[in-house]
Amino acid sequence: MRFVYISVLVLGLAAVLADHLSSPSSGRAVSPEDFAGACAPCGAPCPSAQKK
Amino acid sequence: MTTAMMTDTRAGAALAGIDWLFLGAGLAATAILMALVLLDGQPASAALILGGFGLGVVFLKAEFSFTAAWRRFLVRGEAGGLLGGLLIIAVAAVVIVPVAAIFPNFGGAIAPLGPSLVIGAFVFGIGMQLANGCGSGTLYTAGGGSGRMLIALACFIIGSVVGSLHLPAALALGGIDPVIASKYFGPWGGLAVTLASLALAAVLIIAVARWQGASVWPRRGLVIGGALIGLLTIAVFVAGGHPWSVTFGFTVWGAKLASLIGFDVSSAPFWQWAGPKRALADSVLSDTSSLTDFGMIFGAMTAAAASRPFARASWPPLKSLAAAAIGGLLMGWGARLGFGCNIGAFVGGVASGSLHGWVWFGAALGGCLVGIRLRPAFGLSKD
Repeated sequence: MRFVYISVLVLGLAAVLADHLSSPSSGRAVSPEDFAGACAPCGAPCPSAQKK
Repeated sequence: MTTAMMTDTRAGAALAGIDWLFLGAGLAATAILMALVLLDGQPASAALILGGFGLGVVFLKAEFSFTAAWRRFLVRGEAGGLLGGLLIIAVAAVVIVPVAAIFPNFGGAIAPLGPSLVIGAFVFGIGMQLANGCGSGTLYTAGGGSGRMLIALACFIIGSVVGSLHLPAALALGGIDPVIASKYFGPWGGLAVTLASLALAAVLIIAVARWQGASVWPRRGLVIGGALIGLLTIAVFVAGGHPWSVTFGFTVWGAKLASLIGFDVSSAPFWQWAGPKRALADSVLSDTSSLTDFGMIFGAMTAAAASRPFARASWPPLKSLAAAAIGGLLMGWGARLGFGCNIGAFVGGVASGSLHGWVWFGAALGGCLVGIRLRPAFGLSKD
């Protein structure tokens, strides 16, 4: 099990590093709720907006 | 033996119990992530990682488990664990409800009410009893050295990506906009209503426990742990601008990995919404829930390795691993349709004065009843 953990840790950290270095990071960290029209933590729109 | 010799012996035994490899790995991984965000000039992101780290340590040390607490209440009527969960929410609500209502830079965890919420929370409840851990539970136990929960986490991630593809259709079933206490009663009235709802829930839970002749009060460690988790929830809220959430990070990780192996989800309706679209395109370290998730995993790893040999247990039976995998898939799917897990939907929702938190709680509790009945089929006890 320790070998699995070490493998997951190394691969996971490498993936995070690769993603961070190859993706734009536009300023402060955000959550989907920060965007206009978001009605849930995942950024889903409100039912009232969907009906329009 | 002199006092000094006994102290030396105890210190030696404590040092011998430390797993230096994983203690170093947990601290080094945290330091690397902190360095990356600080190099980008983002102290708030570093604070979120630290907040997650603290949560991982406290959850592990207090052995705080929503899943076991809910099961003990449903099976035996024991109230202590549930009351510990309500304590977290009450502490967090004192800051989140008024601040989210007064300051435009802050927002609560809100969500619409409708079939998607109820179905998602119900399915999540089934999954959490099969996996034996919810969103936070999966994070800290996987981080703390449980290989079984590592499998649950992997399947949680897969399930949440599938859920993201189904959420728009589930939302089309209908629903109403979020119902938020502060919107009707103002910041302080909203806080009073929220705390009153928590008190009412506590009274009902205590009444059920007394009726069943079960233990009522939480153990001391749970009270201290609950208070600390509540304070850390406030810290995460202050740093991120929104209540602590767990599962959106999993969805982003899964979608990025899916794209890597040829399953591009970016054209799906969910990933066209502004928030998810930005999260998929940006660095994973730009997403608030990913930052606290990483911190929590490495905090739990560090705390576990500091007290005992890390991940030395043998793998559990296949049936138990199957339960973890199925539970993880159900939780992932349910979390997307139900707008989060015990943390994002229940703790965050109720602590924001949003009615969806209580609806989520009721539906997830119903799902737990089903999940508890299914546990023996996987060799897991109903207790």
